[in-house]
Amino acid sequence: MADLRGVSLGFVWSTAAAAIVLLTIVAPVANAGSVQFNRDVRPILKEHCFRCHGPDASARKSDLRLDERDGATQPARSGDIAVAPGKPDQSELIVRITSADKDDMMPPEKSGQRLSSAEVETLRKWVLEGAPYEKHWAFEKPLNPAIPAVKDLGWPRQPFDFLVLADLEKTGLAPSPAADRTTLLRRISLDLTGVPPSAEEAAAFLHDGTPGAYERLVDRLLGAPAFGENWARVWLDLARYADSRGYQPDRRRDMWRYRDWVIAALNADMPFDQFTKEQLAGDLLPRPTEAQLIATAFHRNSMLNEEAGIDPEEFRAEAVRDRVETTFEVWMGLTMGCAKCHSHKYDPISQKEYYQIYAFFNQTADTAGNGDAPTLSSPLLEDPIHAKKAVAAGIQSLRRTTETPIMRELPVNQRRESHLFKRGNFRDPGEVVEPEVPAAFPPFPEDAPKNRLGLAEWLCSRENPLTARVQVNRVWARLFGRGLVETEEDFGTQGTPPDHPELLDYLAVGLMDGGWSLKRLIRTIVLSATYQQSSRISPELLERDPQNRLLARGPRFRLEAEMIRDQALAASGLLSPKMYGPPVMPYQPPGMLTKPYDRAGWETSPGEDRHRRAIYTLLKRTIPYPELTIFDGQGRESCVIRRIRTNTPLQALEALDDPVFVECAQALARKMEAAAEQGVEARIATGFHAVLLRDPFPAEIEALKELYRKRLDAFQHNPAAAAAFATDPLGPLPAKANAAELAALTAVANVLLNLDEFLTKN
Amino acid sequence: MHPLEPYLHQAAAVTRRHFLGRFGLGLGAMALQSLVPPAKANAATEENPLAPKVPLLPVKAKHVIYLHMAGGPSQVDLFDYKPALARYDGKPCPEEYLKGQRFAFLRGVPKVLASPFKWAQHGDSGTWMSQLWEHLPQRLGDLAMVRSLTTEQINHAPAQRLLHTGSQLLGGASLGSWAAYGLGTENQNLPAFIVLTSGGQAPDAGVSLWSNGFLPGVYQGVCCRSDGEPIMYLPNPPGLDRTGRRETLDALRTLNQMQAQSVNDPETVTRIAQYELAFRMQMSVPEATDLSKEPQHVLDLYGAQPGKSGPGKDATDPAFANNCLLARRLVERGVRFVQLYDWGWDHHGFNDENQIHKALPVKVRQIDRALSGLITDLKQRGLLESTLVLWGGEFGRTPMLQKDEKNPFLGRDHQPTAFTMLLAGGGVKSGIVYGETDDFGCRAVNNPVTIHDLQALILTQLGLDPFKLLYRTEGLDQRLIGVEGRASVPRGLLA
Repeated sequence: MADLRGVSLGFVWSTAAAAIVLLTIVAPVANAGSVQFNRDVRPILKEHCFRCHGPDASARKSDLRLDERDGATQPARSGDIAVAPGKPDQSELIVRITSADKDDMMPPEKSGQRLSSAEVETLRKWVLEGAPYEKHWAFEKPLNPAIPAVKDLGWPRQPFDFLVLADLEKTGLAPSPAADRTTLLRRISLDLTGVPPSAEEAAAFLHDGTPGAYERLVDRLLGAPAFGENWARVWLDLARYADSRGYQPDRRRDMWRYRDWVIAALNADMPFDQFTKEQLAGDLLPRPTEAQLIATAFHRNSMLNEEAGIDPEEFRAEAVRDRVETTFEVWMGLTMGCAKCHSHKYDPISQKEYYQIYAFFNQTADTAGNGDAPTLSSPLLEDPIHAKKAVAAGIQSLRRTTETPIMRELPVNQRRESHLFKRGNFRDPGEVVEPEVPAAFPPFPEDAPKNRLGLAEWLCSRENPLTARVQVNRVWARLFGRGLVETEEDFGTQGTPPDHPELLDYLAVGLMDGGWSLKRLIRTIVLSATYQQSSRISPELLERDPQNRLLARGPRFRLEAEMIRDQALAASGLLSPKMYGPPVMPYQPPGMLTKPYDRAGWETSPGEDRHRRAIYTLLKRTIPYPELTIFDGQGRESCVIRRIRTNTPLQALEALDDPVFVECAQALARKMEAAAEQGVEARIATGFHAVLLRDPFPAEIEALKELYRKRLDAFQHNPAAAAAFATDPLGPLPAKANAAELAALTAVANVLLNLDEFLTKN
Repeated sequence: MHPLEPYLHQAAAVTRRHFLGRFGLGLGAMALQSLVPPAKANAATEENPLAPKVPLLPVKAKHVIYLHMAGGPSQVDLFDYKPALARYDGKPCPEEYLKGQRFAFLRGVPKVLASPFKWAQHGDSGTWMSQLWEHLPQRLGDLAMVRSLTTEQINHAPAQRLLHTGSQLLGGASLGSWAAYGLGTENQNLPAFIVLTSGGQAPDAGVSLWSNGFLPGVYQGVCCRSDGEPIMYLPNPPGLDRTGRRETLDALRTLNQMQAQSVNDPETVTRIAQYELAFRMQMSVPEATDLSKEPQHVLDLYGAQPGKSGPGKDATDPAFANNCLLARRLVERGVRFVQLYDWGWDHHGFNDENQIHKALPVKVRQIDRALSGLITDLKQRGLLESTLVLWGGEFGRTPMLQKDEKNPFLGRDHQPTAFTMLLAGGGVKSGIVYGETDDFGCRAVNNPVTIHDLQALILTQLGLDPFKLLYRTEGLDQRLIGVEGRASVPRGLLA
């Protein structure tokens, strides 16, 4: 059961407690006592020295730079050496920072800054140890950290819990107690599947007192089809998936088979390296399957400009750049956009290197002047939107195929020459460039072809310092609400350093060692004690760590836009389990799709299609679905690495008044009415169980009972209002139903679906 | 200075802890307060984080309308007349103007581009303005033209963030959030801080520009939609009247308060406040945003056309004019801070229509009448005295041409070292030109104003001490003007 690869590594994907204890005992504490440049020294130099002695040549004083070892250790004209490795007393840096002479001291007297004695001691020790410099942390390969010793051996459940706990013990904070089972059930269900458990599933877990119940729950959820739908949502933001072409005309196109491919691939736990190769280069695999060709639609999600009078080559070049930048943002966590016009100011990517990557993507057959071609034609089993229209128009013969845009490499004799574009202007080609990867990163694998497939192999090679870290960080951020590297979009020198570098590396190495299995990665995280903590925020934590960087509590944050919709539909019993297929159109306010060129308009889908999960909602880039954007989703014109969470009155209006949520309240009211014949309290309890899986507290029942009584009275006096509030838009009342009672219960349900506890992962 | 003085603002504005501690009492009081006139609301200062507060300094401006032109308008084509450019037009730029300068795109020795527009002098002072402006010259007497703005950032998103949040990095609190934090707001029925966009696109840095950052969530900006209804889903569902909505919200608040007490999450506290605000907005927003109630002569003053907005590329697009008129209506109703973003001022000459001589006239036509009309209207209503109006971009543009042999298009690159802003009202001197640039408009050579200086000025006019208005988070005293607090208020601009 335990997969012990190398005893001293301390990397275990199982929860074998014995193994953990063993590792704790044998593992040495990492680099005990020694100074690490990136961790200990760079922050001090950055804070006090780099402004005048850093990379910016125009601001540099005395021609001294301390950000590079060569600069720091070189004798100045005066013969002084800023940093003399091994000799702190002969190092001008140390002399100056400890000097009391106003003319000599550094930082200069007028800056008002002094280094603390601890900072001075760190620098002295660093010089004494030979003044080693390190590359930017993220450009060094991740290595498995040693597992540190901790006091509270009873707490950890996963090896990485030791890392978290050791940090906590250093700060004097204790972990939070474990979350109660109901909270944990709801948390893990939403995290893994994006929807709450059914009543039966909930009862099964809550009544399962045998050991391993939580592990079994996790495994069941990992195996549920809804798992893929939930995590595909995350990936589709990165893939800038949409059902329209973007730019001003923003016509529709059929990308949905790609969306379905992502869902299926995640459900099948396709290894992330394979997942990468198929999307970036499925067409270049030997004898690609239809699915592998569909996967390449990843990069056909680039926008397509169909405005009149444009130069198609300009926008083909634009699409290629979008592919370059998306690839590097998604896999390497690097923002490349600036390098298309000039060499990167902060990260080691020159303008030439940008176009060398461009050259990888510059050989595909798609153009901007030729619509979606090339496409893969597949039979269309069912397309409710087209079917309805065809019927309305009296057309008998329906469209029978769907054309998915895919990548195809040009034949050898039609290859394009790739150039650097001066200042980013495609009309101004500079030198010819060949496909190559930036020199600051590991070399391209020798045996790999110099095409997209080789690039995909390079991205997922063991030598690549970023891909695994970036993906692990992304999964962590979705589960904890904040990445270990907060700037998920930027692992470069301008990004924020990781809060827990060793934890990040531990998980990254584990992802690669674990065969790039995302399900294994997620399982590792959610089985940890760190994840299973209560999310209650003690006054001390609110004061000391409002962002929960230290991980002294469980995650607590508002649900994503899609989850908010899906959860409301699920709790009210309306959610359609139907998977896959063409996009659908749930309710949206009239007058939303009124842009020019859009003849199709928005026709609310009939039947269960308007109650599908959010991932199936038609996404038109210029007019994204309002519920999505109000809760921080995007039109996906380009790759969205992370959504910034907001908390606005507009969200309140949306969840209170949008017909989607009103309909859910009506359906939940009918569920409450039908499930319990006896008394309003039982009905309220039924509603509570549907939304929060728990019993209401007496005070909660009281408040809702009072609302119910007041509303019942009002609705009894106003039958028209009662009928409207109980049925519009859900539909006619069930037989024998009392409209006033159902309307009053709808008001109760409207409250339940807006509870902070409901909108939040606790 | 009393050692605790810097924290007085924070204490006055209610820390999260304080707010949570008084929770049971606080929210009831807050809800009550929505039903009483704002004058009485002062009594509830301790409980409602948005209740109006009396600042420590004299109040010159009670409101701010900030008109941001995203992309960076060209000062040398609009406000900063440089006849020397005509003499060098098409010639290599002299070395003295390039030395030490950073550019986003320019490399080598670029050529000089004279302004393709005609210029004229106006008013007693003979202030030069480009003739692209038809209406604004009549308002010169109400304006302070600051020609010596400088910034540290050279790309759009970081420069916008530095300007609006005090830091180029994500996570800072916006100007409007600081104003709401320091002063609360006079109208509890509308958000304290409202954001309006035009030009067909949101600014590059997006929601981070109106984020509350480390401040509590109730201080974040509320961004209205640029098309159609400014706020969606205001009406209650069919069959539920206002009493019914109030009753549901009372129950919701009761349950959410229990949750807040149990989990101690500031986000929950914010959410409770946002639901209450939403309830009040159901009444106040339709009235406040109904431009059709304005008489025709007022619509004409701005060039506003209620209900219409173009694609942003057309000179007749009234979206900005509509937003200016809406801004006046919001300020009139007591909104503390109205932030407009107008997209489309990034004139590099990337293509034919993005050329400076083609695109800039279109943008000026979209805003000239509206900007002039806004100042006129505020003045006529006696609101200009107490409203600080600002106009400007995140940086300026180079006098050098961004073009070479193969690129036929005329454009200018970003320039952080000198650009022009306009200020009006709110206790700022009027009818003056402040600051000066070199002969090419490359660098501010007299009275330079940094971004933190500008922010210090805005806070000062609001009665907030820029050095003492701080919020302590994770061990740092955060200020709008930066943790180091390096700024000086440009006193020469103050009336």
